[in-house]
Amino acid sequence: MKLLLVEDEKALLDNMLAYLNRGDIVCEAAATFREAQDKFLSFAYDIVVLDIMLPDGNGLQLLRLLKDAQPEAGVLIVSAKNALDDRVQGLELGADDYLTKPFHLPELNARLKAIYRRRKFQGHKAVQFNEISINTDTHDATVHDTVLALTLKEYELLLFFIANKNRVLTKQTIAEHLWGDHVDLQDSFDFVYQHIKNLRKKITAAGGEDYIKTIYGLGYKMNG
Amino acid sequence: MRLLTKITLLNLLLALAAFGVGGVRVYHKFRFEVQRETDFTLLETMDEVVRTIQSGVPAADLQNRLMHITPLAGPQAAKDTYTDTLAMHPVLKRPELFRRLQATRTIDGKTYRFMVMNVVIEQSDISRIIKNVLTDLFVVLGGILLVFNFLLSKWLLGPLNQTLAQIQAFNLTSGQVPEFPRSSTTEFSQLNTFLAGMLDKIRQDYHTLKEFSENASHEIQTPLAVASGKLELLLDTPSLDDAQVQLVQDAQQALSRLSKLGEALLLLTKIENQEFAPQTPVDFSALVGTDVQIFADLAELKGLQFSSRLEPGVSLRIEPSLAHILIGNLLKNAIRHNQEEGWIRVALSADQFCVQNSGPEPAVPTEQLFERFQKSKPSGASLGLGLAIVKKICTAEGWAVSYTYEAGTHCLCVAFANA
Repeated sequence: MKLLLVEDEKALLDNMLAYLNRGDIVCEAAATFREAQDKFLSFAYDIVVLDIMLPDGNGLQLLRLLKDAQPEAGVLIVSAKNALDDRVQGLELGADDYLTKPFHLPELNARLKAIYRRRKFQGHKAVQFNEISINTDTHDATVHDTVLALTLKEYELLLFFIANKNRVLTKQTIAEHLWGDHVDLQDSFDFVYQHIKNLRKKITAAGGEDYIKTIYGLGYKMNG
Repeated sequence: MRLLTKITLLNLLLALAAFGVGGVRVYHKFRFEVQRETDFTLLETMDEVVRTIQSGVPAADLQNRLMHITPLAGPQAAKDTYTDTLAMHPVLKRPELFRRLQATRTIDGKTYRFMVMNVVIEQSDISRIIKNVLTDLFVVLGGILLVFNFLLSKWLLGPLNQTLAQIQAFNLTSGQVPEFPRSSTTEFSQLNTFLAGMLDKIRQDYHTLKEFSENASHEIQTPLAVASGKLELLLDTPSLDDAQVQLVQDAQQALSRLSKLGEALLLLTKIENQEFAPQTPVDFSALVGTDVQIFADLAELKGLQFSSRLEPGVSLRIEPSLAHILIGNLLKNAIRHNQEEGWIRVALSADQFCVQNSGPEPAVPTEQLFERFQKSKPSGASLGLGLAIVKKICTAEGWAVSYTYEAGTHCLCVAFANA
């Protein structure tokens, strides 16, 4: 997956690069409107992560140019401006998703993978992780061809873990992914535990390996 | 009361006073003149008679009802005296006021005493006539004033009325500063210049504030995002021990809290600035339905009994994101301030949305919980802004929100006044 990160805040850009630049993801960065424009006019990207507020231009304008140049590229808008107008306008202009700062890096990762899936594997939306496979069309998860009876939240949880495999996920990150940020953290930590416990039980019951490990005091990690 | 009505009434009152004083003065003047004229006539009549007697006509022949002539024995000096007297009127057959002149004259060596009378205009007649005339005048003056003021209001106060209408129509969030009409009246043109300047300043301040709060939010959230990201990267390094992990996580939670606080305060500012314009009607039932699903899940995980009774098709004018914040805050509140094995009941009808829950008695009066940073428990995860935001949203929408606590039941109700 080839990414272009457009973000004027150097520290934030470094964070994203450090987190995403692993394995099968190749990241390039642009800090200004012009730089970003030069990049996407010269190279093809799967997904462009776009900060709306740039020092030398409006991100929404950049989005228009991008959609002209590379209509097939996915776009994830990132902004601190939780202004509704921008969100609606961005999505209308063809952005795939919208993330408000501050966000969790695993959340960014999961959203990027979801966009990538929708864009690249049309008609064959399957996620494979060892013996676990997920059909994102029908929301079915199977282990060794045994269908797991997952609730919606457990399904989302499994997908989130696979998207961030081999990475530590804190309860905070998981809770916000499952219930959005209007759910308060402390309240939901126990619920995260409940859901993960149920998910692990269902996977092992179907003969799957228990990939999700508890990391004491911190959160969880899916090894694979 | 309208300005012109006031001016007209004052004018009429002034005219009334002037007419009153004038009337009294005219009455006295008139009476004085009438008396002088009557006295003069009496003297003339007497002199005529004296001349007639001098020409040789016997005095007795000249007597009549209004002229008494009495010959006196010897010469007597007396001043002419004028008096008012009542006497029987020969035609009207009733006592009338007469003016009487008494004088003595010596004609050809004989002294006569004269008593001449004549009827005078009565005081009541004078005052009646003056009253009638003045009343007529007053009515005419009033009529002229009314017509004149009506025309005046069109011509003189027209610019003022137009200015008033323009100020009323002015909308801070979207509107331009209106172009006030030119007026040749100094005061009005000053007022218009002043208003235009002031409105322009207000509009600029408003936009500066709006821009500032948005930029401030951006400038605060970006470093928070950076710091939070760094901590996440730190957590991803395998060499951390448990204590270090805990430190990082605490820091991350504090950052997250700060970020939410910033968002909540920005939201409050935006609502106060009325940046959420009135929207087209939305299906409020559907919005509540979505949120209830999320929170029912959380409530059940916490061991709370959750039930809802939602009337379908309730349509309200509200920005959907604001509606979600309102509903979310109420439900979150009900979950957080609950008790072991408690319950939550949500009810939506065409005219109100109510969230009831079990829970311990709040430490402060319920109405105070709508204030910023008021918490029923000093510690805890809550920011203390949830209900303040609920209150602000309701105020902005013109809805009424109430919080009552009775016998272990908390009840928060939003009544849609404009539904």
